[in-house]
Amino acid sequence: MTALRITINGRSYGPVEVHDDLTLNDFLREYLGLTGTKFGCGAAQCLCCAVIVDDPDGTSHTSPSCAVSAASFNGKSIRTVEGHAKDGELSALQKAFIEHFAFQCGYCTPGFLNEAQVLLERLARKPVARGELEKTIAEALDGHLCRCTGYIKYHEAVRDVILAEPGRYLLAKAAGEQQ
Amino acid sequence: MSGDPKGRADATLRSKLHVASVLALATVLLTALTAHAVNDGASGTLASPESFASIDDTAARSAAIFIELGKVLTHARCVNCHPAGDRPRQGVQRRLHQPPVERGADGLGLAAMRCSNCHQEKNFDPARMPGNPHWQLAPHQMAWEGKTLGEICAQIKDRDRNGGRSLEDLVHHIGSDSLVGWAWAPGYGRHPAPGTQKEAGALAEAWVKAGAVCPQ
Repeated sequence: MTALRITINGRSYGPVEVHDDLTLNDFLREYLGLTGTKFGCGAAQCLCCAVIVDDPDGTSHTSPSCAVSAASFNGKSIRTVEGHAKDGELSALQKAFIEHFAFQCGYCTPGFLNEAQVLLERLARKPVARGELEKTIAEALDGHLCRCTGYIKYHEAVRDVILAEPGRYLLAKAAGEQQ
Repeated sequence: MSGDPKGRADATLRSKLHVASVLALATVLLTALTAHAVNDGASGTLASPESFASIDDTAARSAAIFIELGKVLTHARCVNCHPAGDRPRQGVQRRLHQPPVERGADGLGLAAMRCSNCHQEKNFDPARMPGNPHWQLAPHQMAWEGKTLGEICAQIKDRDRNGGRSLEDLVHHIGSDSLVGWAWAPGYGRHPAPGTQKEAGALAEAWVKAGAVCPQ
């Protein structure tokens, strides 16, 4: 058993006694009722369950909540799909997903949303050239499975958000370079 | 027992449902057992260095010891993370890793799909997720996949292809490194590498003491 303390979307939880074989996904959904995080394959294959982990160094990454223990997140800070909208206002990514009809059933959407958010944060720290953007987005979303709309619309939605703020996410265009 | 026709019909239906449930459960269990048998093979044991003492020729004894150590080096638990390509493999069938991860520039995965995103500091058996604090792919130059034991032997002696390790470092790496040690504690559903890490280390040490000769 572990007395779990965890910060989720900026709010502190715990200590909560949890078994060491409890998954983070079950903790979120069954203990806290945060059902925005989905359960799909249960084996880190589809990543619909991915949450954002905020690292102490200020970076972030995603983690499949279905295949990791809740106890291993003791003392850590994570974000889930419930944390994207602020004061009822959808995030730029959420709006872009809707505008592009990026999802139908929506089951994979929380994972894509979290992955795209991590990508935005990574690009804000380390911008890439416009010419590398398509590959960068594709690699970022690569592990996520979608069985409805496919992947193009998600890709296009993320690209739109990035191109809306090129000064934030992309390297300045070199002299003579085509945008 | 019920005397009326409806009661008998209900009882019959319940009985049929019970049989169907038992059959369904048996099918699931049999499928799970069969899948497990297909997915992973037996691990075997390792002979001790002393058991090679009857080989008088030192070079031949050294090569023979390495062949025994080769049971470990060529086991799926080891080769799967020493792939020839950019993707690790899984299981004794050595299928490509799913999800489709790649080694990336540092052997720790691509920017958005780092090994440590899923593989944590220890195995998480409820999800069959293996783990170790140093989980990563062996670098390209340390690829063993598709090579003969003689080629692997020459490779791991070559400082340019073994991470700059001396022979003594190799003995320590095989016998004590915690990531190498994962091969003997791979978690539920996976057969460990043959023998024990201590036995493998003893074989590596004996191989080096006898001249670190490679088999043909």
